Amino acid sequence: MAIVLLALVTGAGEALAARGNATDISMLYLIPVIYAGTRHGLATGLATGLAAALVYDVLFVPPLYSLAIADPSNGVSIVILIGAAGVCSHLGGRVRQQARMAQARADRNAALAGFARMLMALNRREELWGLLAREIGRLFDLRTVVLAPDPPGEGGRSLVIKAGVPTITQLDLIDGVAARWAFDTARATGPGSDAMTVSEWHFVPVMGGNVAHAVLGVGRDDAHRPLSPDQEPLLASLLDQAGLALARIAAEEEMLALGKVEERDRLRAALLSSIGHDLRTPLTTVLGMLRAIRPESEAQRHQLDTARGEAERLDRFIANLIQMVRIETGGLERALEPVDLNEAVTAALDDLRRVLGNHAIAVDVARDLPLVLADPVLLHHCLINLIDNAAKHGTDDGAVTVRARTAGEGLTLAVIDEGPGIRPGEEQRVFGMFTRLEGSDRRGGTGLGLAIVKGFAQAMGMQVAAANRTKGEGAVFTLLIPPESLRPVHGVGQGAG
Amino acid sequence: MRDSVLVLVIEDDAAIRALLRVALEPAGYRVIEAANATDALGAVQVQTPQVVLLDLGLPDRDGLDLIAPLRKAGAAVLVVSARDAVAQKVAALDRGADDYVTKPFDTDEVLARVRTALRHRASPDVLAATLRFDDIEIDFAARVVRKAGGEVHLAPKEFALLAELAANAGKVVTHAQLLRTIWGPGHETDVEYLRVAARGIRRKLEGESTAPSRIRNEPGVGYRLAVAIAG
Repeated sequence: MAIVLLALVTGAGEALAARGNATDISMLYLIPVIYAGTRHGLATGLATGLAAALVYDVLFVPPLYSLAIADPSNGVSIVILIGAAGVCSHLGGRVRQQARMAQARADRNAALAGFARMLMALNRREELWGLLAREIGRLFDLRTVVLAPDPPGEGGRSLVIKAGVPTITQLDLIDGVAARWAFDTARATGPGSDAMTVSEWHFVPVMGGNVAHAVLGVGRDDAHRPLSPDQEPLLASLLDQAGLALARIAAEEEMLALGKVEERDRLRAALLSSIGHDLRTPLTTVLGMLRAIRPESEAQRHQLDTARGEAERLDRFIANLIQMVRIETGGLERALEPVDLNEAVTAALDDLRRVLGNHAIAVDVARDLPLVLADPVLLHHCLINLIDNAAKHGTDDGAVTVRARTAGEGLTLAVIDEGPGIRPGEEQRVFGMFTRLEGSDRRGGTGLGLAIVKGFAQAMGMQVAAANRTKGEGAVFTLLIPPESLRPVHGVGQGAG
Repeated sequence: MRDSVLVLVIEDDAAIRALLRVALEPAGYRVIEAANATDALGAVQVQTPQVVLLDLGLPDRDGLDLIAPLRKAGAAVLVVSARDAVAQKVAALDRGADDYVTKPFDTDEVLARVRTALRHRASPDVLAATLRFDDIEIDFAARVVRKAGGEVHLAPKEFALLAELAANAGKVVTHAQLLRTIWGPGHETDVEYLRVAARGIRRKLEGESTAPSRIRNEPGVGYRLAVAIAG
């Protein structure tokens, strides 16, 4: 092209020269020189500049048809031609390089965007491995393999080939070790890295949330270093995106599992509350009828007592079940008011009078303690369950003591029995749900009473604790009432006066 | 006398009705039943029950709405309520119910509540003179309280509380009712006042006694002077 232009300019120069205006012809030669310089780089630009200078010198500079230059100003023209060629070549080169970089960036962004789009459509890990192998193989024109632990999760399990382009079923021993190494250390291995360079494959971990989820291997048929340094950032970006997709997939799986659990909980709660109600109504009749029957003999009285005792137990069990459902489903409503602990204990004992029978109960709750900000009904059930529990697990003739004490700024309300106590290490477990059913040395009960105490106490901002008595046998269950739940009674005297 | 007392049981569950009949009839009460609000209101037009046992969960109407017409018809109203239904109990008492009985029933408790309600209904003035329990004597007219014959000085609010509970002896009185009557409107939620006054009364009348106090608190509902009043 430069040569054609050179010829055209020479023709035009001849025409101008024929009209006797030879001095500005040198300007015309700038056209091919600039063109060649900007479009074709330094070498072509300089060559065109030299050629233009040569032709101009020979054809138009006197003495004509010779390389000699008579007029120094023509010499300047020739230098300008060559200089212009150099400058244009340089400028053109930079523009071309920028264009190349822009193109590369655009390609990279297009590749990333395309990859991201494909990732969005995925919702399973297996699909992601396939996509990684396929797309990275295509973008870099390399062989690929993806290895991931099976089943997904902890790094202790073996890595299994999940995908490969072209399909691959087994790695060489050394390659397998390199893959494992990349997975375990979360760093690249193989050619082009600083570890396991003898491997045929270059392995990079696929990270998601700071954990390696898989390893991607790339390789070339000729076993050369598969990635050039300028390709590595693109690969890193692609793998970053894959990592984000992995995190999303993991989150979705978690949500799904959670949704199932919630659904199950809802169902269970609905079932229990319905069963609770359906069982309770007939039980009310059974219990009432049993209480209404007047025995005609001592034997009958004993039979009635047994039947009534069991029916009452069943009733308490159902009541506990309903309350546990309320705790578990967050259906607890509390209304705090100042409660007098002595009154609360008296009310609980009054409710329990049938269950307790002749059980000795010692109440050591001063009548001038600070009032406690509590939900009266929840506290009532806490006390009932604690005292009932103590009576059940204490010995038949052992006393149950209910004792309130100031503890630091707060209060403790302890229910103490004289039973066999709690096995060491079980102090927290006794408050768990259905603990009693799992334990081996427990008798009777529903396994819910203490769990309800804990749930209700926590709903009122109190804590529970269990321990053995320091002196003698027996367990101590304590309600810990924090200072902020207390209302000292002085200062309201004018209200009572 | 007792066999002339008519009790109306309003309850949609047939088994519970039968149960209450079993509890009441041996004690000499006549029992009629209604399975819903409409039947109940019809029954009080024809007969005049002195006591009504009212379950609030009726199929055709909220049982709370029946309390006022039943009271107007001259019956003492005892609400039949689940153990935990505190808000329901308070609402029923605020609407004029005399007391409540808790499911599952304790036959003796049902009978005691019926007896108490009947006595208050039959002779509301009997209590205006004096009330005696344990070694305590309350002389309402003279505003004097005696313990073992000796006069006990109560603060005015303490006496007012004791008098209010004594006037309703055996019946529960809600926190809000007590606060409104004794401290005045606007104090219905100042439960703290009640607690303090109740303590004052206990300290002065019961001292260091370890027996359960006669002034019982029903958690979340109110106070009851736990005495069996002589007819």
